[in-house]
Amino acid sequence: MGKQDIDLMAHLMRRAGFGATRDEIDEYVAQGYEATVEKLLSPGDPTWMGDFMVRRFDHEASGMINHRGGARSWLYRMITTSAPLQEKLTLFWHGIFATGVPKVINGRVLYDQVNMFRRNGMGSFDKLLLELSKNPAMIVWLDNQDNHNGAINENWGRELLELFSMGVGSYSEEDIKECSRAFTGWTIGNTEYMMVRSQRDSDWPYGRISYHFEYRPEDHDEGEKTFLGQKGNFNGEDIIDIICKQESTARFIARHMYHFFVADEPPVPAWPYTPPRDPDAIDTLVKAYSESNYDITSMLRVLFNSDFFKSEGIRYEKVKGPAEFVVGVLRLTGEFDRPRREMVSRYSQITWMGQELNNPPSVEGWHQGTEWVDTGTLIERINFASEQFGDANKPGVKAIVDKVFAGGGDDMTPDQLVDLCLEQMGAISVSDETHDVLTRFAKQGGRSEQDVAHVLRMTAATKEFQRA
Amino acid sequence: MVSSAAQTHKKVLEYNNTLGIVAMEGRGFEYPTDTVIARDGRLYVTNRSRDTGERAVRVTVLDVESEFYGTFGYFGRGDGQLVSPMCAAEDNTGHIFVTDDVTHKVTAFDYDGNFVSKWGVHGSEKGELNGPSGIAFDADNNVYITDTHNHRIQKFTSTGEFIMAFGSNGSGQGQFELPWGTTVSPDGEVYVADWGNDRIQKFTAGGDFIAAYGASGLGDEKLQRPSSVAVDERGYMYVADWGNERVKVLDADGGLLQNLRGEATLSKWAALYLEVNREEGEARAKSDLEPSTDLLDADDPHTQSAHVEKLFWAPMSVKLDNAGRLFVTEGNRHRIQIYERAS
Repeated sequence: MGKQDIDLMAHLMRRAGFGATRDEIDEYVAQGYEATVEKLLSPGDPTWMGDFMVRRFDHEASGMINHRGGARSWLYRMITTSAPLQEKLTLFWHGIFATGVPKVINGRVLYDQVNMFRRNGMGSFDKLLLELSKNPAMIVWLDNQDNHNGAINENWGRELLELFSMGVGSYSEEDIKECSRAFTGWTIGNTEYMMVRSQRDSDWPYGRISYHFEYRPEDHDEGEKTFLGQKGNFNGEDIIDIICKQESTARFIARHMYHFFVADEPPVPAWPYTPPRDPDAIDTLVKAYSESNYDITSMLRVLFNSDFFKSEGIRYEKVKGPAEFVVGVLRLTGEFDRPRREMVSRYSQITWMGQELNNPPSVEGWHQGTEWVDTGTLIERINFASEQFGDANKPGVKAIVDKVFAGGGDDMTPDQLVDLCLEQMGAISVSDETHDVLTRFAKQGGRSEQDVAHVLRMTAATKEFQRA
Repeated sequence: MVSSAAQTHKKVLEYNNTLGIVAMEGRGFEYPTDTVIARDGRLYVTNRSRDTGERAVRVTVLDVESEFYGTFGYFGRGDGQLVSPMCAAEDNTGHIFVTDDVTHKVTAFDYDGNFVSKWGVHGSEKGELNGPSGIAFDADNNVYITDTHNHRIQKFTSTGEFIMAFGSNGSGQGQFELPWGTTVSPDGEVYVADWGNDRIQKFTAGGDFIAAYGASGLGDEKLQRPSSVAVDERGYMYVADWGNERVKVLDADGGLLQNLRGEATLSKWAALYLEVNREEGEARAKSDLEPSTDLLDADDPHTQSAHVEKLFWAPMSVKLDNAGRLFVTEGNRHRIQIYERAS
């Protein structure tokens, strides 16, 4: 098992998942890179802590009056799932089709949307867009319940084209209007009652009722529309068909995928004016999109097996997003063998790091890359990880410490101690400068379990650990 | 339409009415966990609140006519305070005992909500508790406590002196997987909702295994993560089938007599709210609150209950009163549905 194989596998697991322990990496390397990619893409029926456990011991994750309960349920799933790519991709779509609580005002509806991303996020893009168009959280978020025959509301139509598929510059203002006409009558059931409750932020009388999609033919504009040069009595399904055939859609999704899994691109508003960082990579992904009939799994297969993904030049280039960072740490430290009240704090810590799940800053989602880090959020990240790894009683930390001692013995040198910590925290490669700093720190301490935990804490503060 | 009618082999119960409304403080419930039908004629309802629950944790006192008498037992770790009240029972001196699965304590209050005593030490040794939930007194005023994370039942005096323990982690006879509710039948036998094993187990007062009831699975005929059980003088078992979002009535041999899915109507407090908040009331009156079932996955009763308000959603507890009425406390709908004996 060569170091190159281990480093590449560690890279794959950081990007396609939330990192992995050294033992997991060894298992994957033994199976082979391509086989591991296939396993990530086709996880079967994933195991995780389970809905019943979460709901019994975290009751707000069951009733979901607010948006935090559903988000905690999702965090438990991210932390314990056997299918990390599925959750990573759910996070990916949550960032693109960003929907938030301030308008939806119903935690369960947002939870249902996240589940929809999980069910459809690895399938065909046209099916995903269709489900998104019918998704009650999205309908309310972008006001499609106010989009009526003869009195259109363009909010959904505009964002569908601008932020969810083609990107600015690929359509006209007239296309937005015609698109909106095609989606008239796509609403939620009991619109008036649900909106009155939403406006009043009403839990009464018996907690929130989840929304459901309703198509109202009497409110649908059956007339002829002209959309992207095509004419017809289009309904929403037809619009999605046309959108998905556009090369601009393929390029838009390909760039998002590159941005999330490979290397940071500028924020989306800059895309019309800034060429992609790697145009050949985007072309490759566009080709996969077209040849597979818009299949997301096929695009990801090409991406993870490509040279541009495997390249050493992009490793540790991406700053981990707050949810990704926290989940990765918690998977290592094993704090949540079962639901615990501490998850309320973990969710808040992710928020303080700049990412409140189920409450993105706008429909544009979160800006990624180095924008995740400022002086405040960096301190939050380091304090969180330091607290986690500093507790040698946490089962995952104890397991790492035991393996460090098993590998180096009681009299290991500072160099050995640092190398073993880096290995056990996920086969992390660091620069000479980082290694020097860690070694100098290790020299100051002894060789007790707590001393090893201190080196783990310091390692978690390195720029390499903060990145993927 | 999701069927909510009582599916019946033999109609034991019929719907009567609903109590409660969601409220973060004062009159109402928020994530209620259990109801004590006390001998003073009042109902004592424990509430967990949302998230960290610094506001809505309390015991709400009312009666079956929806008369509200106040609250007590607020959030905290001091005497007379609660962090995560789970289950409650009355002893034979008129004290209300509440288990707390975060503080690992059992706290006793009088009818007026005054603190009486508390006991419980966190741990796994005999007499220690880890996440206590179910609680039930026997005729001698001794108390059985479900020691959830230790996967056992422990018996104490009402002052917390350890008497005995039975059960261990597993799926064999007399073993448990995160047990929840417990009750003592009129015959003095101990019944336990063995949550993780999808069954009800029955024991002698001394903890000897007698029988287990329930096949594991989804739907009308099976049990999925039962939370609570009550037993009447005929030996009929009333089971809060929490994972199936149902309540089941079983005969003394475990045969299914009746399956309930929930039929809630507006409580007095709910009706008053909608009368005062007219805009909401009028919009509600025009709504179809029972959307077509083809929108909802029949294999996902939790999601069905999120969409259809009258259905049980997180039935946490079932309790019988002296008239044989069944009180179903629903965590996620913040109310109690009452069923009476069928005529």
